[in-house]
Amino acid sequence: MRKFVLAGAFVGLGLLVACQPAAQKAEAPKAEKKKLSSKEKFKIALANQDKWQKACSNPTQLVPEGIDVETFKKEMLATVKFPEGGVVGKNIARGEKLFGDPKKGGKSRRGNCYACHCGDPKILACGNIGPSLRGYGKRGIDPKDTYIRIYNSWAQNPCSVMPRLGYHGVLKPEEIADIVAYMHDPNSPLNK
Amino acid sequence: MRKRTLLASAIMAGGAVLTAAVAQEQLPTHLKELLELGMHPGHAYVDEGREMFHTPGPNGKSCATCHGQDGKKLEGAYAKMPRYYKDIGKVADIDTRILACMTKYMGYDKNDKKFMKKFKKWNGPYRVPLASYVASLSNGMRIDVKLDDPQEKELYKMGEKLWYMRVGARDFSCGICHTVLAGKRIRLQGLPDPVKNKVYAHWPAYRFGSDRMWTMEDRVRSCFKAYLLYTKQWSKKDWVKKPPPFSDWVIALELYMKHAANGATVEVPGLLR
Ligand code: HEC
Ligand code: HEC
Repeated sequence: MRKFVLAGAFVGLGLLVACQPAAQKAEAPKAEKKKLSSKEKFKIALANQDKWQKACSNPTQLVPEGIDVETFKKEMLATVKFPEGGVVGKNIARGEKLFGDPKKGGKSRRGNCYACHCGDPKILACGNIGPSLRGYGKRGIDPKDTYIRIYNSWAQNPCSVMPRLGYHGVLKPEEIADIVAYMHDPNSPLNK
Repeated sequence: MRKRTLLASAIMAGGAVLTAAVAQEQLPTHLKELLELGMHPGHAYVDEGREMFHTPGPNGKSCATCHGQDGKKLEGAYAKMPRYYKDIGKVADIDTRILACMTKYMGYDKNDKKFMKKFKKWNGPYRVPLASYVASLSNGMRIDVKLDDPQEKELYKMGEKLWYMRVGARDFSCGICHTVLAGKRIRLQGLPDPVKNKVYAHWPAYRFGSDRMWTMEDRVRSCFKAYLLYTKQWSKKDWVKKPPPFSDWVIALELYMKHAANGATVEVPGLLR
C-alpha cells in the first residue's frame, strides 16, 4: 500500500520534492539544489552502470565483451579492500546472521546468501542458483579466496550471477570477514 | 473476500515447496482445479472494468461512447499492443492508452493529483479493472505485435537492450533471472522465462500470493525492485526502486516481451500463485 502512495507522488515531472529523503535535502550541495524527477533519477541510476557491468550486458550475460577475461579479473581484484584484522573475522555469530539468520528462517537483508545457496541443513528455504555451501569449510579452500569471492565474485568469475557484495558496499570488509569465519569454522552448522 | 483470502493461504501452504509455476499451462493442479470450478478472483476485476467502461466521465463521455457498447470496436486491440498511436504521437501500452483516453477524451484532468493517484493505484477503479476488461476483449485471439512504425522499432531495440542490461548494486538484469536462471529457484520462488514461454498471453494476471490483479506495468516495475538501483554514492542511499509508471523503459520491456509472445493466444485474466 505504502508504495502506491509513493507512486501517487510521482505525478508528472517535478513533483518529486516529497520523495527526497530529508537527510539528503540537508546535505545536498548547491549545484544539486533543484530536485530530480523520478525520470531523471532513473536515468541516472541506469547511467551509473559501470564498465564491467556493461561488458556483461550482452545476450550471453556471462561472458564479458570488449575486455579479456584476465584483464577483467585483474581489474576486479584491484577493487578488493581487505579488513585490518585479516580475512577471517572474530564475530562468527554476526557472520551467521549476515549469511542468513536462522532465527528468521535464513533471511538476511544484506548478505541473503540463502536466496541462491543452501548451507545450514536446518534452513530448507534455500535457492539452487549457486552451488550448495554445505561442508564448505572442509573443502580446503583458502579463506582469502572465500573473502574475495564474497567481496567481488567477478575477480574470480567475470560476469558471475553472484552480486559483488563488497564492491557495491552492500557488505563492509569486516562483515565479510565474519561471514568467512562462519563458513570456515569447524563448528559451524555448514560444516557439521 | 475473507473466504477468498483463506483459500489463497491454504493453497500457498499446500504448494510451499513447489518449483516453477511458469506459464498458465504449467499451473499447479490445485489452481487448475480452481479454474475448472470457475473460481477465479480475476473475473471480479473484469466485471468491474466492464462497468467502468460504460460509466460517463466528467464531460459525459464514456469509453463506450467511442469504442462501442460492450467494447465492440476494441475486440482484438489488446493483442496488438503496445503500439504506436497517432493521436498521442507515441507508443502506448494498455495502462498508458487508457490514461490517454480518459484525459484526452473523457474530461479527466492529468494535472489533478487526486485523480492521478486514484488512477495509478492497484485497487483503484480505473487502471487495473479497465485494463483487465479491455484485455479480455482479445481473448482467444493471437498476439500480433507488428513493429511497423519507426518508434515501435526503436522502442523494441531499447527493450531488448534493457532486458540484458546488468546494472545496480546486485549486478542483475531481467535476463539474469529470466533467461540465464530460468527454471532455477531464488529461495523457493521458481524463475520463469517470460520470453521463451510467451507468458504475456496470460497478463494481466491475478496473483494469489498478493491477492490482487497485476498489469504488466505492475509486474515489470515490481521486478525492478530487485536491482537496488541508486543515483548517488551507496552511502547516501538515494534509492531508485522502480522506473516511473507509463515511462518508455516500462513500455519498451513490454514491447520486447509481447513481441516475443507473438502467435500465442490471449487468455486473460491469468491466474498465478
Ligand atoms: C544471486 C545469487 C547469489 C547470491 C545472493 C550469493 N551467491 Fe554465492 N554464488 C552464486 C553463484 C551462481 C555461484 C557459482 C560460481 C559463480 O558463478 O561465481 C556462487 C559461488 C559462491 C562460492 C564459491 C563456491 C564454490 O564451490 O567454490 C561461495 C563461497 C559463495 N558463492 C558464497 C556466497 C555467500 C557467502 C553469499 C552471501 C553473502 C553468496 N554467495 C550470495 C550466486 C549467489
Ligand atoms: C532477482 C530476480 C529477478 C529479476 C532481476 C527480475 N525478475 Fe521478473 N520475476 C522474478 C520472480 C521471482 C518472479 C515471480 C515468479 C512467479 O511468481 O512464479 C518474476 C516474474 C516475472 C514475470 C511474470 C512471469 C509469468 O510467469 O507470468 C515477468 C513478465 C517478469 N518477471 C519480467 C521481468 C523483467 C522485465 C525484468 C527486468 C526489468 C525482471 N523480470 C527482473 C524475479 C526477477
